Amino acid sequence: MKETPLEKSLYRNFLPGILTKDGFIGEDKRHIHDIIEEDIRELERLGISEVELAKKLQELIDFGKKNLEEDVRYEHFIINVRWSRGMLPCPFGEPPLHYKIYAKITNTKLDKTIVVTQLGIHLMEKHVFFYGKGSKYRLEPVFLYDFLFR
Amino acid sequence: MPELSPLVIFIASIFTGNILLVYFLGMCSFLSVSRQIKTAFGLGIAVTFVLAITSAVNYIVYYYILLPFDIEYLRFIVFIATIAGVVQLLEMIIERFSEVLYINLGIFLPLITVNCAILGVSLFMIIRHYNFIQSVLFGAGSGIGWTLAIISMAAIRERLVEKKIPAALHGPGIALIIAGIMAMAFIGFSGIVQLQ
Amino acid sequence: MVSKIIITVLSVSGITGFLALILVIAEKIFADYGVCKVNINGEEDIEVDGGKSLLFALKEKKIFIPSACGGRGTCGYCKVRVIDGAGPLLPTEEPMLSKDEMKNNMRLACQVKVKKDIQIQIPEELFNIKEYKTNLALLKDLTYDIKLLHLELIEPKEINFKAGQYVQLETKPYGDIKETVMRAYSICSPSYEKNYIELMIRRVPDGICTTWVHDFLKEGEVLNIIGPMGEFYLREGESDIYLIAGGSGMAPIVSILYHILHEKIERNVLFFFGARTTKDLFYLDVMEYFEQNIPNFKFIPALSAATNKDKWEGEKGRITDVINKYIKDRDNSQAQGYLCGSPGMVKACINVLNSNNITNDRIFYDPFA
Repeated sequence: MKETPLEKSLYRNFLPGILTKDGFIGEDKRHIHDIIEEDIRELERLGISEVELAKKLQELIDFGKKNLEEDVRYEHFIINVRWSRGMLPCPFGEPPLHYKIYAKITNTKLDKTIVVTQLGIHLMEKHVFFYGKGSKYRLEPVFLYDFLFR
Repeated sequence: MPELSPLVIFIASIFTGNILLVYFLGMCSFLSVSRQIKTAFGLGIAVTFVLAITSAVNYIVYYYILLPFDIEYLRFIVFIATIAGVVQLLEMIIERFSEVLYINLGIFLPLITVNCAILGVSLFMIIRHYNFIQSVLFGAGSGIGWTLAIISMAAIRERLVEKKIPAALHGPGIALIIAGIMAMAFIGFSGIVQLQ
Repeated sequence: MVSKIIITVLSVSGITGFLALILVIAEKIFADYGVCKVNINGEEDIEVDGGKSLLFALKEKKIFIPSACGGRGTCGYCKVRVIDGAGPLLPTEEPMLSKDEMKNNMRLACQVKVKKDIQIQIPEELFNIKEYKTNLALLKDLTYDIKLLHLELIEPKEINFKAGQYVQLETKPYGDIKETVMRAYSICSPSYEKNYIELMIRRVPDGICTTWVHDFLKEGEVLNIIGPMGEFYLREGESDIYLIAGGSGMAPIVSILYHILHEKIERNVLFFFGARTTKDLFYLDVMEYFEQNIPNFKFIPALSAATNKDKWEGEKGRITDVINKYIKDRDNSQAQGYLCGSPGMVKACINVLNSNNITNDRIFYDPFA
């Protein structure tokens, strides 16, 4: 696909070592646009809104934030939030900067654990970007929906 | 050489012979850039400049280089080369003299090179045997006509943002329907002056 | 036929060659801005190559405007006052500037391109920021996830900083990572020691720099730093001082305590350190030394998850509750608060200070926290 030099330099941000150690693409060979397009189609097929998913995750993180690095219980979730100093820019290149918040959330009913970051929630909500396949932060929409709402 | 006043050609190329709505050239950027009036206007102005300048340059190249050497069949390659060169030049000038405009236009500027309306206008002026003044005014007029079409489309699409449209028609679907209706509306102008 | 081919080739090459020539000439005319003069604070004039952003042009001349995003226009740290010569405000700057800032001619140095002579105003402290080459003389564990780095200055040999300030450390490529980044860390060594600095670095999940420091860095490596920077340092006064930190946030506090000791400051000082278990505590011997030698200093660690095995005799619970317990009955009308640590902890503790009559003008912390 044709890319302008601006787009090429922007997509550099998604690679490991530029903004975060592991980057945002994982092992995915697809173009960022394709990753987003396919996830949009998947969301439409399932009738799920990325905003709904992001808002629920934000709710969990906001509660976890109040307890500094301790496990807390919220509904049937156990949340542990680690908030580090410094800020990260969004890889899509727009302001504002994002706090380095890293959360481990366990669904006690399903006995499953996910790892999510504040930047990840922003990417999900504003850019419909769920990370590339193979990235440890990749959350498949179907899985995430079940995790959050079942 | 048609016996038409350059002014008539100018007006006709905006309305009755609108390069976009009558000849359906330049549709790709028309469909993708027409979501906001501000960006549509910016792109339209850039396209008008490029059209006016490339009409002039391509006219000179065709009649003073290609024809004399008997190589008119090269016009496709050569016209594209001059269009690319002119767009590049325009980019440099805009970046130098108005950085604000340069940032606002963003990637749309280099995309003008592949706008088929630009090549189309150059080829049409050859086919219709326009002279220099006619060619330049034809180019400028086509640009203004293109701008008119894209701004109208953007205005309509801005109003459609909140409205309920069948899911299957979102995006390009509804845009093409609007373009079609606009094209039919422009047929109404055909009574003013007939060109070709 | 052959002549036709030759003419074709020649004309196409000729025309495209001519176009290329025009573009090359145009680039020389339009894109070459020559050498431009940057006038700083009405005093110094420096010459830079035109066409670059103000941020990078100044950086090349060893004047370091703070930046957290590397010049992308997303952090807003590089604001400078441009009196003349910057051209109109760019759409990339607008989201980062308030109306007041725009009225005062504040611009983002990373977005403004130097195209002609330009006059700017920057704070004097920025001139003290330099690039240092250092040698990692010592790398040791303070806890399971915090390391201490001792950097001997090679060139320049001396650094002048205020206790509490930080430096930017440049990483090196490691593992699969080929790029370098700059990350900020507070200095924990005394400010009267001018030939070395010490940093405390805590592991951040998937952090580019902290993973490098903890898993790849070796003693003896030569590291680059830029500094000193920051508005976090002890303010003058006679009032009580409340120092609050968690994790590697202890770093600037330690430097401030060395300063208090060295300058024989006699104000009341309470240092609240928040952690989870005894495994997160470190520098206890240094704190004991301070308690013995600084009059009116008390170190109050608070563990939020102490187990019975820890046999912890000190304060238990959340740091916010412990702080409240100690200061609620004191006269805090003049007291100052200095905080460093995770932004969540800092925010929560500021609330506690506020509700104990300490207003925000007497509360200090580094915004990059």
